[in-house]
Amino acid sequence: MNRAIVAVTLGLFCAVAANAADVPAGYPAEYAKILDAAEKEGRLVIYANTEQFAVNPILEDFKAAFPKIQVDYLELKAADLYTRATSEIAANTLKADFIWSSAMDLQYQLVDENAVATYASVEKPNMPSWALYKDQLYGVTFEPVAIVYNKKLVPEADVPQTRDAFAKLLETKKADYVGKVAMYDPERSGLGFFVISHDARVGDGIWKLVKAMGPTSPKLYVATGQMLEKVGSGEHSIAYNIIGPYALLKAEKDPNIGIVMPKDYTQILTRIALIPKAAPHPNAGKVFLDYLLSKRGQQVIADKALLYSIRADIQGKATAAKLIADMGDKLKPIAITPALLDDLDPAKRLPFYKKFNNALAGK
Amino acid sequence: MRRETWRSAVAGSAALFILAPVALVLYQSFLSAPFYSARAKLGLGSYAFILNDDDFWAALGHSLTLSASMVLIAVPLGSLLAFLNVRTDVPGRRWLEPAILLPLFVSPMVLAFGFIVSAGPVGFITIWWQNHIGPAGWNIYSFAALILVVGLTHVPHVYIYVSAALRTVPSDLEEAARVAGANPFQVARRVTLPLIWPTIAVAGVLVFFLGFELFGLPYVLGDPEGRLVLATYLYKLTTRLGTPAYNMMAVVVVAIMLFTLPLVLLQRRMLRSADRHATMRGKASRPKLIPLGKWRWVALALIVTWLLFVVVIPLVGITFRSFVSAWGSTVTVADVLTLENYRAINNVRGVGRSIVNTLLIAIVGGLLSVCVFTLLALASHRSKQWSTRALDFLVLLPRAMPGIIAGLVVFWLFLFIEPLKPYVTTLATVWIAYTLVWLPFGLRLISNSLGQVSRELEEAAAVTGAKRTVVARQVILPLAKHGMIAAWLLTFLLYVREYSTGIYLFAPGTEVMGAMLVNLWTSGNIDVVASLSVINSAAIAVGIALALRFGIRLDA
Repeated sequence: MNRAIVAVTLGLFCAVAANAADVPAGYPAEYAKILDAAEKEGRLVIYANTEQFAVNPILEDFKAAFPKIQVDYLELKAADLYTRATSEIAANTLKADFIWSSAMDLQYQLVDENAVATYASVEKPNMPSWALYKDQLYGVTFEPVAIVYNKKLVPEADVPQTRDAFAKLLETKKADYVGKVAMYDPERSGLGFFVISHDARVGDGIWKLVKAMGPTSPKLYVATGQMLEKVGSGEHSIAYNIIGPYALLKAEKDPNIGIVMPKDYTQILTRIALIPKAAPHPNAGKVFLDYLLSKRGQQVIADKALLYSIRADIQGKATAAKLIADMGDKLKPIAITPALLDDLDPAKRLPFYKKFNNALAGK
Repeated sequence: MRRETWRSAVAGSAALFILAPVALVLYQSFLSAPFYSARAKLGLGSYAFILNDDDFWAALGHSLTLSASMVLIAVPLGSLLAFLNVRTDVPGRRWLEPAILLPLFVSPMVLAFGFIVSAGPVGFITIWWQNHIGPAGWNIYSFAALILVVGLTHVPHVYIYVSAALRTVPSDLEEAARVAGANPFQVARRVTLPLIWPTIAVAGVLVFFLGFELFGLPYVLGDPEGRLVLATYLYKLTTRLGTPAYNMMAVVVVAIMLFTLPLVLLQRRMLRSADRHATMRGKASRPKLIPLGKWRWVALALIVTWLLFVVVIPLVGITFRSFVSAWGSTVTVADVLTLENYRAINNVRGVGRSIVNTLLIAIVGGLLSVCVFTLLALASHRSKQWSTRALDFLVLLPRAMPGIIAGLVVFWLFLFIEPLKPYVTTLATVWIAYTLVWLPFGLRLISNSLGQVSRELEEAAAVTGAKRTVVARQVILPLAKHGMIAAWLLTFLLYVREYSTGIYLFAPGTEVMGAMLVNLWTSGNIDVVASLSVINSAAIAVGIALALRFGIRLDA
């Protein structure tokens, strides 16, 4: 009798184990259940704002690892993504199983709206604690915010390594930089506001820089890609607060692009992933989250997507490990905390715009 | 009387189709948060915010200036081109006309990006100019340049109206003036102009109104300077306050409608009286052309220069960009030539599908839209019922709403109306939105061709005992067939070109080229913007070639 039970149990276990042959190494055996459910769901819908050139290698590798899960990827502007998700949730027709966005504040807002599922990823121990929030939000990447310049237009010796040096360069060689400086428009780009408002929390250095930019009539943009295109073409010489991974991707194709991680401090953003409560295929969402945080996923992020792996144990082209070795405590990661909501408060944004515009005008 | 109920039924469903989006916008404008949010409360807070926002007034000012300057540029130039092409012996008239209409069908996104690549601060024309002539004295991002670009690209809108009017005005009066010794300029000013004045005014109102809707050109060209017009101000409200402020955006739409609706009504009124004016035709005789003498070549040069500026320069620019990986002042072209941007179309998810979807929407969807337009046109055809007459005015409403908002509202309707829910991420949403946005245009097109069927034929059929449906099926529709095919082709062209309406309907499976271009531009995937623009323009070129081959007038 006992033997029979053992045999059946063993048999079942083997059956499960055989089916879950691709449970990643080191994962607990019960992970097979999630994986099994995910493969039964067979589909994963991702809403994200990561550029396709960056995300494609990740999705391809995921497909290779989990061929039974078919992936749909919808790329939307961060603000549109938020609208899409919240209105679909309100109408009970959410399509997304996974929401992944660099708009850290809007992602946190979804937690505030009680829309985010709780799931403790197996990979949690490998993550820095600042990039986690209550088993709901997971920071997947370690993206430096950089200064980008055109190597043919900014002489080697002039390339500013700090915000101070940047301000000084604009003051001493103003004539060379009139109309040649680009940056985010904080009013029209959520990400642009987010980064520069965190600059202002680090210290007053940013205001010195903005004041120095003013007389050169900088051009203000809504997206990193447009700035990179125009620095590459020489329409602009230098651009401030550019998302590092996109700069790196552009630099691979365009040898004129140079990148500086400011030595006074470099802000680090993390692209936050979450699984919505209303996800139609929640298990597929879990498997994708674990994959993104896994060694395999992070290696692709480091070498092909160039989004900068966040795990300390990953070596490669774009990694936190390398940045930390180079810059140590000059890196300023923006942690996932309830304070992110402050950035969405109109009562704080509107005065900030005023201060920004005044600084540009030299006031 | 009973057989007339179908008219009311059609009018009723059309009214629902048109009023639902408008009502939703109006309702949203009086709320404090998105209408689906639990936090939404009724109030006037959004109005107060917008009316106190300096940016709104600046945007309104820019929109008004832009509209007024467009009228000042497009109306005289469009009228002049129409006069030259219809009334004088300018060389190459046969191929000039379709060429003049080209800017109508090129996507404004493509135009704007083309201008940056060719005449921007490091564009290839600018660089050539700096190397051979001297410092470039222009700035493509300046307000003056924007005015010039939008003014010149709206010349064809004026041309269509004025040339049509010119064809109906008898040429005997002009000839009389010629015989009396007037030169071509005097003829134009003293004889022709007074005759077509009402039509020119109509075209002026149309252009002024189109100025309020502009999105693509100011979005790309006015952006780096932070100069806003109403439609781009609207777009800015998605991020300015942190989370998208749909209540405020609704207020801006209401404001836009307050300006555009009276204009649409005014234009319609004027069009009626202009039509009445134009029906006092002379004998159907071949109009005599006014000989321009040596001025012929000056006239031709004028037209060609204009075409060079609004079509050739931007299209060459975008085509050039599609074959290089980088460009500008610091790049040697030979080093960067590539086909990679076309290969990338396969690698970027959704781009391939956007091409297929656009063709589907334009060919199949275009045909279905024409069917809808025809049904509506038949319902109001020679009807004096109040319900169909009300419809006449209702169909003008969508015209007053920017396409980008029409798209968003259609998305919401599909999301929240139970029977529509399953279709929310299908091409059906795009089709509905496109049909809604182009309804006034399509209806005018179809009504015109139905109107050309003479009343006696319909009456003859009715007298022999045919019911209305039989009259429609066996008399009106066969006779209006050519007009409907023409309408289908024009709808195809407009649907391929459309870009703003699909922005908020974007989902896997509903990508269309226009919205894809805006998306790629925003995310900065410029390589694919360039190659997709070329493909978009090629599809339009094929449509135009077909139209010419089958003798379909592009200015219907």
